[in-house]
Amino acid sequence: MSEAVLLDEAAEVSLFGSKAVGLGQALRDGLPVPPGVALAGPIVEAVASGEEDAIETVTNLVRPLGGPLAVRSSAVDEDGAEASFAGQHLTLLNVPSWEVLTDAVSEIWWSANSDSAITYRQKVGLFTRPSVGVVVQVLLDPESAGVMFTQNPISGADERVIEASWGLGEAVVAGLVIPDHFRVDRSGRILESVPGLKKIAVRTLPEGGTFEDPIAPELQEKLCLDEARVGELNRLAERCEHVYGPARDIEWAIADGTLYLLQCRAVTRAGA
Amino acid sequence: MSGVPTEALKRVPLFAELTDDEIGQIARLFKVRRFRAGETVIQEGSGGAAFFVIETGEANVFVHSEQKTTLSSGDYFGEIALIDEGTRSASITAASDLVCYGVTFWDFRPLVESNGAIGWKLLQSMTRLFRAARES
Repeated sequence: MSEAVLLDEAAEVSLFGSKAVGLGQALRDGLPVPPGVALAGPIVEAVASGEEDAIETVTNLVRPLGGPLAVRSSAVDEDGAEASFAGQHLTLLNVPSWEVLTDAVSEIWWSANSDSAITYRQKVGLFTRPSVGVVVQVLLDPESAGVMFTQNPISGADERVIEASWGLGEAVVAGLVIPDHFRVDRSGRILESVPGLKKIAVRTLPEGGTFEDPIAPELQEKLCLDEARVGELNRLAERCEHVYGPARDIEWAIADGTLYLLQCRAVTRAGA
Repeated sequence: MSGVPTEALKRVPLFAELTDDEIGQIARLFKVRRFRAGETVIQEGSGGAAFFVIETGEANVFVHSEQKTTLSSGDYFGEIALIDEGTRSASITAASDLVCYGVTFWDFRPLVESNGAIGWKLLQSMTRLFRAARES
């Protein structure tokens, strides 16, 4: 079994981590996931160690993706039932090209061995050697992006909850804006739409990394999704539930007019 | 290329008793880690599982928010965490872009467990450091 594969070939959670395998499964089921590569824990460590064979293998696989790239951790025990490592391990958005990928992969390996990650492991009783896989994907330059719960995570009601903002979804995930809020029933009918206050959009910089781009006043309280887009998201929710099962937490983005699935995991209920 | 220059490790009191070959075995376990200026390298009171040797750049050391010293090329920190899984006794912040070599508890422990000679010498060094601390 190769330790570096195209994302749609990532099938073993114990090698590639749940994020990579989840996205691989989505691609195999025809969901609109940006193309990418999955790296298993051992080859990530080899790249971090500067092993030339490993670096060459990874570089050859990633080069056709071009750039810029989103490089995310996919820890083998991440997002598990016992302990969630979301937030402990690193995501590097806008790595300009495969030429600087080695540093990004190394940084992610170290994020799993950082003091904060180790402290967290001790706290949850998982003081074992971390194994971190990596997902490398083409980074989108979205018009709008956000999160969607296929079932209301607060009330448990059988309805979609969508939070959306301009630019990259990091603005929503990191709480940098008050996002637009939608509730949608399973037929796609909008039950509620509340404009947020979106003063900035997170966008990419040509030299790598991201910045907070001020939003024009007339767009700050304008809904960033129309009815057709909300309907499209509802259909994506339906397909994700068909593939993964009920109650999913989805990250999505719309770039060049196309809706993409960025991540899909089980909903963590408030207070759970 | 992995590994820290062995000369840097020879200056670490914990490794004072080791032969060049033993130092070389430890050196090969190190990986490069980069920090940006201003980034927290280690945090006082938090858990830690890595030992670092500075390759280039400078880092400030704080204890209870008071700056104690500045570290630079060849200096090292965090070696006790390799053994006792304890908490960090100081905070260290990158004063400039910083390139370090680091080794984790997870890599260091199997080497010591499988090599009794290295383990014994580390024990001797630890005892010497303990005796010096008690007498000071």
